[in-house]
Amino acid sequence: MIDTQQMQSLAARMSEAEVKGRSPWADARRRFRRNKAAMISLVVLILVALFAIFGNSLAAWSNEEMDFEVIGNAATMGMPSFANGHYFGTDDLGRDLFSRTVQGTQVSLMVGLIGAGIAVIVGTLYGATAGYVGGRTDAIMMRTVDILLAIPYMFVLILLLVIFGRSMSMLFLGIGLISWLEMSRIVRGQTLSLKNREFIEAARATGVPAWRIIIRHIVPNLLGVVAVYATLLVPLMILSESFISFLGLGVQEPLTSWGALISEGAGTMNYGTLWQLIFPLFFFCITLFAFFFVGDGLRDALDPKDR
Amino acid sequence: MFGYILRRLAVAIPTLLLLIVLSFLLMHAAPGGPFTQERALPPQIVANLNAKYGLDDPLWRQIVNYVWGIVAHFDFGPSFVYPDRSVNQIIAAGFPVTLTYGAISFIAAVIVGVSLGVAAAIRQNSWIDYLAVGTSIGAQVLPNFVMAPILVLVFTLWLGWLPGGGWGGPIYWIMPVVALSTSFMASIARITRSSMLEVLGSNHIRTARAKGLPESKVILRHALKPALLPVISYLGPAFVTMITGSVVVDMYFSTGGIGRSFVDSALNRDYAVMMGITILVGALTILFSLVVDVLYAWIDPKIRY
Repeated sequence: MIDTQQMQSLAARMSEAEVKGRSPWADARRRFRRNKAAMISLVVLILVALFAIFGNSLAAWSNEEMDFEVIGNAATMGMPSFANGHYFGTDDLGRDLFSRTVQGTQVSLMVGLIGAGIAVIVGTLYGATAGYVGGRTDAIMMRTVDILLAIPYMFVLILLLVIFGRSMSMLFLGIGLISWLEMSRIVRGQTLSLKNREFIEAARATGVPAWRIIIRHIVPNLLGVVAVYATLLVPLMILSESFISFLGLGVQEPLTSWGALISEGAGTMNYGTLWQLIFPLFFFCITLFAFFFVGDGLRDALDPKDR
Repeated sequence: MFGYILRRLAVAIPTLLLLIVLSFLLMHAAPGGPFTQERALPPQIVANLNAKYGLDDPLWRQIVNYVWGIVAHFDFGPSFVYPDRSVNQIIAAGFPVTLTYGAISFIAAVIVGVSLGVAAAIRQNSWIDYLAVGTSIGAQVLPNFVMAPILVLVFTLWLGWLPGGGWGGPIYWIMPVVALSTSFMASIARITRSSMLEVLGSNHIRTARAKGLPESKVILRHALKPALLPVISYLGPAFVTMITGSVVVDMYFSTGGIGRSFVDSALNRDYAVMMGITILVGALTILFSLVVDVLYAWIDPKIRY
């Protein structure tokens, strides 16, 4: 006997709209959303970005103004307070720490994003080319990377900054020069595993030139790895810049960055102006934390191997 | 094995030469000579200075002399800012200090990191595991230049237990070592933990347990060696970062190591000292990565060399 009810439900299911397939990206998105730490970190990052963009319109003082009432006795008068508009207090020159922190956040985030951006562009193209072309070209290109990686880059970066003058563009150039090395290695490894797949063979068979295969077929397939690594690279770039600024060799006044602010706060904490250390440090730490967690979350989401 | 070391040296030596030549060319490309001051010196004096330091020779001869001085006599030349001191003297004054706390930090990071990682892997999901994982995440966002002020704040200003700077007996070593080693300790613990977990799940460990070996022997004899391989390959990059971190330690704790001389020379534009330290650090790095690679090849029988 045919079960009428079963037949009916089957008919109903057949007449439904076609089941929507899930792309790997949608899968990844779902996995990422389920990762609580990564989602919270994403929110934190958005808040920090909003702070950097709109913070200045909340500030009562500009970052270059000096509050002459506070100057000289920041320890007693420069406390964080809402009454005089210094939400984060002032430094001993009477400059408002809130707007300085906003400025430092802008500079540090910019350094991180641009450094990672250079790494993504140069590292991806370099690694994909080396991996795709292979042979002697590959050997020479990767040996060069090995040699460059063996050089203590922080010392060379400081050497560059001292010799060619300390400017933002030099800082970007210097950080960009070293940031792509690791990336190119990772990308090359991925390219090697991609290049013998059928769709690349098909492209080659139809006569697509090599550079076009790299840009149209290889690079888009690397996006997952590149995205993960770029997210993890941003905090490293921020760390490098902060390190140099902490030594007093990075961005110059009136510009500032997290590293410069932390260095200043660390230098004056003996005088009881602890807020000068704590506020920049807080933003620095939560941002780095958030970037690491988002990077980890992205890796879990985009790397189906560990499922 | 011998051939492998030779081949690695064949790469290491050109790298070092390249570093020397590059930093020399960089210095040469700098706008203004080393004697450019706010108050311009009379041209005769500049000419005499240039002659004394050999800066009027053709560029290739300067490079050859510089490289030859380093390779043959280990001589980095005179300082451009302090006429009475050579770069060698400046390095010799600071290097023992850097070496002392650097070596202690490195050994401490490896021993504590590996022990913590192994303990965390054996007792997975216990409090010691959470401690190891928690500190390794925390240490990522607390680099040495953040650790240093916090340590001084707590242990010098609030508790008054430790001196905030200077260099003397072992009590002066504590804070520099802690500031320098914590993040590496955490990274090593994390790496050890994950590779140990992987090794503990493998077949040869099951066999070792099945034949009735005591657990301590299983861990020490059979699991530790393969689990340490990723740690060893991490040591090379860790060494570079640690040398870089020593600059912060020298600056912050006034320990008087070469990091201080490096930053001072950077601020004074004393190129000869900067180059000398950069090259020294580069040479140490290259040497160390060579040692690590050889160690790795020696421990891991799967490596073809």
